Amino acid sequence: MKLFRSIRFNIILGALIALLSAVGTFLPQTSTSPDKVEFYRLLHPLGFKILNFFGAFNLYQTWWFMGLLGLMAFDIIICKLWNKPPDISATALPPENTNEEEIEKHWSQREEALRLKPFQSSMDSSLAFDEAFTKARAFFERAGYAVHDEFHSPAGAAFLATKHRLQRWGSYIAHIALVVILIGAFINALYGFVEMAPVMEGTTVAMKRRPWTLSVDKFTVHFYHGTFQPSLFSSVLRVKAGDKLIGAKTIRVNHPLDIHGVRFYQASWGAAGMFRSVTLNLAGSFLTLRQRVPKKVPGSPFSVEADVLMPDFTVANGHADTASLDLKNPAVRFLFSIEGKPTPPLWLFALYPKVCLKENPDGTLLHAEAPPFSLVSVDPVLFSGIQVAYDPGYPWVVTGVLLWVLGLVLLFYFHRRRFWALLEPGQNGKTKISIGAWSSRGGRDFEKEFNRLTGEMKSHLDFK
Amino acid sequence: MSPELMLTKATLAAYLGAVTLSFVYLAYKDEKWNRWMLNLLGVGIALHLAAFGFRIHSFWQIPENRYFLPINTFFGALSYLALAVCGAFFVIESRHRLGILGAFVLPWASLSLGIAVCAASPEISGLAPALQSYWINIHPMVLMTSYAAFGNAFGVGVALLVQEHQIKSRKPIALCYRLPSIEELDNLNYRIIVMAFPILTIGIIMGGVWAENAWGRFWGWDPKETWALITALVYAGYLHMRYMMGLRGKKAVYVSMLGFACVVFTFAGVNFLSELHGYLSKG
Repeated sequence: MKLFRSIRFNIILGALIALLSAVGTFLPQTSTSPDKVEFYRLLHPLGFKILNFFGAFNLYQTWWFMGLLGLMAFDIIICKLWNKPPDISATALPPENTNEEEIEKHWSQREEALRLKPFQSSMDSSLAFDEAFTKARAFFERAGYAVHDEFHSPAGAAFLATKHRLQRWGSYIAHIALVVILIGAFINALYGFVEMAPVMEGTTVAMKRRPWTLSVDKFTVHFYHGTFQPSLFSSVLRVKAGDKLIGAKTIRVNHPLDIHGVRFYQASWGAAGMFRSVTLNLAGSFLTLRQRVPKKVPGSPFSVEADVLMPDFTVANGHADTASLDLKNPAVRFLFSIEGKPTPPLWLFALYPKVCLKENPDGTLLHAEAPPFSLVSVDPVLFSGIQVAYDPGYPWVVTGVLLWVLGLVLLFYFHRRRFWALLEPGQNGKTKISIGAWSSRGGRDFEKEFNRLTGEMKSHLDFK
Repeated sequence: MSPELMLTKATLAAYLGAVTLSFVYLAYKDEKWNRWMLNLLGVGIALHLAAFGFRIHSFWQIPENRYFLPINTFFGALSYLALAVCGAFFVIESRHRLGILGAFVLPWASLSLGIAVCAASPEISGLAPALQSYWINIHPMVLMTSYAAFGNAFGVGVALLVQEHQIKSRKPIALCYRLPSIEELDNLNYRIIVMAFPILTIGIIMGGVWAENAWGRFWGWDPKETWALITALVYAGYLHMRYMMGLRGKKAVYVSMLGFACVVFTFAGVNFLSELHGYLSKG
């Protein structure tokens, strides 16, 4: 337990978590980039084996990383229970919680204690003792201080004036908040799920983690003018449990559908190679083709068939491929035949009308002369990438977050102050007033305020 | 050249002028140089705000961008960061009246704007659908405001190291007598971090809430998220070491500087690692 109580150990643990987290950002992670992990495996087989043994490619979900986070949560609790922050205000004027006789006996210790406070001042007021006490008390109340622990004895009187007492709880609330957030994360890890469901427009798919089906009746994507950069994409989504409709909404990014805590997000979209139609410009006349439906070119011996679409055309190992499912560089393969005799397939590009690639029988590609026709447009069949997520830990996380904000605001933006005032009857009907003070902020910051307040108090109590 | 770019270049000239004047003040400690520096900086900030206004106007010409702030590009982010550093400097200077702080803080604002002008594209583009959320006006702004404050703390830390070196050297130069005491600089460094740390963590949390809304997860260990967490852990370590273990002076400054190195990496370096948050990627 001694080890867990140590703040030094807690700091070392935090540093270790930070270091390991940093390592994870330089290695591809299976959860976010499985293709890059595979690429790493091919490039560095031995390095991959060693790192994979320690779970470095799924670092944040490994048992030991989760264990470190759990240990951190445990450590925070232990640390907070054992270690109180250094708080000079906890040293009240002695004797405290004793009977009056004891207090009488130790009155001198009060003065001694006052001298131990970081800030001290004393003054002689021309006011009579009772009036000075009332005025001093009223002075602090007017300055926004709460006056408590008032004490009277024949030797004198004392009181404690405090401001922003809640600040002390900030540290506790902030640390409890961290534990609550971590509990939320563990609940999510144990009971939550994330499921990706690519759904082609007009089709229905079944969910894996719930006995529900998802139907995308319509998928819409809008692009910024002259680009394939999407400005909006949305799906008209229906969710059914058996035959019963349990939810329907047009979802788009940042606007999910929520059914009993299971949320349906518009996460992505793409083109998988199918299209409704393509349009060719044949020396000024336009010819629209449906996928894999050959059509004769009017007034010529040619017939043409639009075969397949590569949404983000690239060449891999000499063959046609797609770099992604985004419509970044759409290209269509056309099969031509002259009087029923096939000619080598040609790849035409929507964005580069003068580029043409010829495909050999083994699938390899060669540059070809720009043909007298070009690809004008493609109307692809798109799929909607629906992400389904259930996070039962989220309410815990939100609670933790709110506590964290409250804790930090109290801890760092509030400034706790304590003034101890000790009043004793002096000679000639005067009153001797001793002031001690402490602040949760550094001494230098509080010095000005202390000097101002004691200065004002002097002028307030010296004159009738 | 667009009016925005013209104003941004004029702003950079004003900031560089303010940096020069702050060094002149440091050398001669004549109050008039400090006044001139503050005046020129004020002009720079006004020009910067005007440039930002023009950028917003152009940005809103694209209907999807309307009512969102143009900080989705590296240029926009760097420009706002420079403005925030100067704004934070003004607030700190008005409260603490140290005078010399400008020489240690304003170069970072000028550097940020200089990189924006020289190396980043000022072109305006449409927001990706994920960014079309009111959170874009809050989450990055809050985070960059904390970065700006940490930049100021870094400047104070540099001043402390210079002062410490001067005090320990056998022949301290005049600069030693112009800089505030080590205790004062150490306290200011701490105070700035104490103000900025909650802003940083609140900014990170806001990102989590936005991610929950957009992608269905509060935390996804994306490199940008992870590095923001690392930054928060380093500064939390600093606060604990100072508050609970009494760490002061040079050692405390080194820890805070490590935190600022994480801030810089989170802001700029992670762009090469993160696909979701990268200014350099489609974002």
